[in-house]
Amino acid sequence: MQKYGRELSVAMVLVALLLVLAVVAPAFYEPQPLLSRLAREAPTLVVACGVALVMVTRQIDISIGSVFALCGVCAGSLAAAGWPLVAVFGVTVLIGATLGAVNGALVAGLRLPSIVVTLATMVILREGLRWKQQGAFINLPDAWQWFGLSQRSGQITLIVCSVALLAVLAWASRNLAGGRFLYAVGSNAEAARLAGLRPQWVTLAVFVFMGALAAWAALLNIVQSPQVDPKSGTGLELKAIAAAVVGGVAVSGGRGNLWGVFVAVLLLACINPALTYLHVEAYWEKAIQGAVILLAVIFDGLRNRRQTT
Amino acid sequence: MSKPEASHRHKVGALLFRHETILLLVLLAEWFYFNAVGRKFGTLDNTFDIMRHSAEIGLLALVMTPIILTGGIDLSVGSLLGLCAILFGKLWRDAGLPLPLAAACTLLIGLLAGGLNAVLIARLRLPALIVTLGTYSLFRGFAEAITRGVDTFTNFPDSFLALGQQHFAGLPTQVWFFLAVAVGIWLLVHRTTFGRSLRAIGFAPEGARYAGLAVERRLAQAYILAGIVAALAAIIYTARLGQAKADAGTGYELFAITAVVLGGTSIFGGVGSVHGTLLGVAAIAVLNNGLVHARQPREMAGMLTGALLLAALSASALPKLLAKFRPLRHSAAPPSSP
Repeated sequence: MQKYGRELSVAMVLVALLLVLAVVAPAFYEPQPLLSRLAREAPTLVVACGVALVMVTRQIDISIGSVFALCGVCAGSLAAAGWPLVAVFGVTVLIGATLGAVNGALVAGLRLPSIVVTLATMVILREGLRWKQQGAFINLPDAWQWFGLSQRSGQITLIVCSVALLAVLAWASRNLAGGRFLYAVGSNAEAARLAGLRPQWVTLAVFVFMGALAAWAALLNIVQSPQVDPKSGTGLELKAIAAAVVGGVAVSGGRGNLWGVFVAVLLLACINPALTYLHVEAYWEKAIQGAVILLAVIFDGLRNRRQTT
Repeated sequence: MSKPEASHRHKVGALLFRHETILLLVLLAEWFYFNAVGRKFGTLDNTFDIMRHSAEIGLLALVMTPIILTGGIDLSVGSLLGLCAILFGKLWRDAGLPLPLAAACTLLIGLLAGGLNAVLIARLRLPALIVTLGTYSLFRGFAEAITRGVDTFTNFPDSFLALGQQHFAGLPTQVWFFLAVAVGIWLLVHRTTFGRSLRAIGFAPEGARYAGLAVERRLAQAYILAGIVAALAAIIYTARLGQAKADAGTGYELFAITAVVLGGTSIFGGVGSVHGTLLGVAAIAVLNNGLVHARQPREMAGMLTGALLLAALSASALPKLLAKFRPLRHSAAPPSSP
């Protein structure tokens, strides 16, 4: 219980918010809007899982919004060219992994700081995409929306896809050797090296994985609408990092639990509708998101201080 | 103790010198290329134009330098510029304050916002990256909430717009402000104990603390300074464009950080210079302006800036990587322990 105190406290905040909403705005719980809202958050959840693992390894990736947009456009173009669904999915994930590998190679190979490397690749990819696409949307074939299913079952599929991925990753990061490597390298890279791990390869791997997850999230995003927006994913990195921090992942590496991230994604997703129902203007969303990040780090900071003294 | 430190500093000095020379060559190459390609690039008017457009990002880069020297980072400066521009317009138009008073209040707001970062980073010792990511969102969110995303402040009097659009003593007016801040920060970083403490903190925060430096106070001062100068940049931005909107300064933090890193300041702290940052700002500004004159697409500027940043980083990382392999070849040499 003590071990998961951080995650439980976020869960309690979420439950409190949900209770307030149940009293003040029962309309929040109408099934169809709720389902749509959850489906819209599915890509965020996938990306947040990836970024949490990157942060556990003591790195950061802020290029994910751009990778997300680029993969969405690539998948859309391939789909419009008539490629079958499975092939598009495979190629898109491969593209994402390759872009992640570029980040990873620069960070792990040349030992450059990940914040600056991914800042640079974020801009290069975003501007490159704008140059190529000039803001033009891509029309998807009809069979693509909701994987060709009805809206309702499509949304359920999306939610199941992302939550299942989360569950597998949460289990793997705790129980598989590969997952433990991330924590080991993030806690103390030198100790991990002395224990026989290769921190540089672990770092490279986590960036490749992050790229693949960003591509997967982009796929879960584009099937939700008839068109692909080349500007999608702007600010996604911020949302994902916010979810990871609120969920209890330490920026200093080696600490964090994906279930905490899951709760945090739900919490952040509830803030905006809560604002609407509580008659606060939606323009406050960004400010509140910032305040939530600050509160989470302040909470962690005070908690650590109490534990060390 | 003093000997290894001196030799280390000498090595770092040589590296810096090399880095800045390369940057100067890149800048000259840019200049000659765009001069050959664009017809109006080399004119005096265009040179003034480049200066005018780089003043705000230049100011942000200047105050980012001391922060990065300490091993920190401030992602919130662009958002703070937006918030300050909005509040400046609000104080003048809605609260009816005279412009000089509104400007003074804006600087005070910048100080308070920088103070928020300072308290969280220096006092509570939270990671600068996440704190300023939070305030990046917070400040921009306030700007959006105050204007409801649509309100724009315009119709400033000509006497104010002169600050951003006219000349004074032969140079664009805002360039004088920029030069004053540049000289001030250069002296602060390179000629005072304050600057030396920043480097010491960047090299080893714990060591600096044991050496009796006021680490907390120095860090706080660096972030507060960034807040005040971001507010100044907001006023100049408003004067140049003649309007203040909630999205003012979006993405400026990226250009500021790029200029600093391009200028040879290590993102890990401890090493760097203000003149390097000035060269970095110039390289980015000339690139942005030159591409327009060379009739290249607008997006090219961002892409090349990012590529330039990666190239500069890789170039600075290569000697370290090569040095790692050297002991293998000269295994007879005794390991030097500082």
